[in-house]
Amino acid sequence: MLMPSKVKYRKQQRGRRRGKAWRGSDLSFGDYGLKVLETGWISARQIEASRVAITRFIKRGGKLWIRIFPDKPVTKKPAETRMGKGKGAPEFWVAVVKPGRILFEMEGVSEADARQAMRLASHKLSLPTQFVARPRAGAA
Amino acid sequence: MTNTIQAEPREEFGKNESRRLRHAGRIPAVVYGGGGQAIPVVVDPKAISQVLYSEGGHNTVFTLEIKGRTPARVLLSDWQVDPVKGDLLHVDLFRISADTRLKLKIPVQLTGEPFGVKTEGGILEFITREVEIECLPDDIPEHIVVDITEFKIGRNLRAGDLPLGQRVKLLTDPTRMVAHVIALRAEEEKPAEEAVAGAEAAEPEVIRKGKAEEGEEGEAGEGGAEKKPEKKAEKKEKK
Repeated sequence: MLMPSKVKYRKQQRGRRRGKAWRGSDLSFGDYGLKVLETGWISARQIEASRVAITRFIKRGGKLWIRIFPDKPVTKKPAETRMGKGKGAPEFWVAVVKPGRILFEMEGVSEADARQAMRLASHKLSLPTQFVARPRAGAA
Repeated sequence: MTNTIQAEPREEFGKNESRRLRHAGRIPAVVYGGGGQAIPVVVDPKAISQVLYSEGGHNTVFTLEIKGRTPARVLLSDWQVDPVKGDLLHVDLFRISADTRLKLKIPVQLTGEPFGVKTEGGILEFITREVEIECLPDDIPEHIVVDITEFKIGRNLRAGDLPLGQRVKLLTDPTRMVAHVIALRAEEEKPAEEAVAGAEAAEPEVIRKGKAEEGEEGEAGEGGAEKKPEKKAEKKEKK
């Protein structure tokens, strides 16, 4: 699963997510992508599950880019523990996303295959998403 | 496609007025360049979208008629799009003159299915989708078309190989890779990566190892903190 190799601080505060993803909201590498429509956290486990779903569907051919990275640690206190005694231990890693952020990009497959692969990937995520394609010239 | 777009001069500015404009179905824009003054204007986003998604794309030259001013030939210099809805929010229009050379980004269009993909099972990687060129407004190509049907695995297309006319000068590095056909080895390795990823997921200790190092540092820090009281105690004894 994706996680930073080195971090400055082990634990982080939750933070707030306001506004839209003004960066990382365009298709930069591939022809097709999956765009998230709400703010939230996407865990490293969800990213990995989506990646596996996509690669298993496309089998051979096609290239995949993962445009998010889970760099935020989330802590959890053990079960049946009294409150206090400090913050819990880091449990998993998440990527913070805002509406409009491109999560995955694909190239080298047909649009129908890309749609289906992204649909399967979106089922592994807890946020609503939208399939996006590079606008073709003369599409207006 | 429309060759003329109507615009009105904008007199009120700021985010609130811009928001009201967008609610009314119009967008703020600015016209500049060509030695003239910058003029804030209001335009119809549908007309701009038609230009943006036409065959010529953002390099289409069109006439902008601003109320009370002489019409000017312009092209889209920059545009802002809503990240979620994809609606146009603002556009920059650049005034051009027929005798001034322009620096533009032209899309590269690949046609045909490469031999390496069709027969040899490779994949086509399209790396550079736009190249920068310099030319006069009348010589702007809509796109640069390259036939890649003959491309076998390992063959690549560089910016210098693109068929540009004599009146067009390439500004992008000629050795820059535009597209290439590669074998699918990297994709075949992916199951192995999956296995590694699975192993990592099964062993949370691997994650804690990284943490443990930092934890040790933290403990070392705590140890340092513990040493201080001892020193103080020693000092007290000396007294």
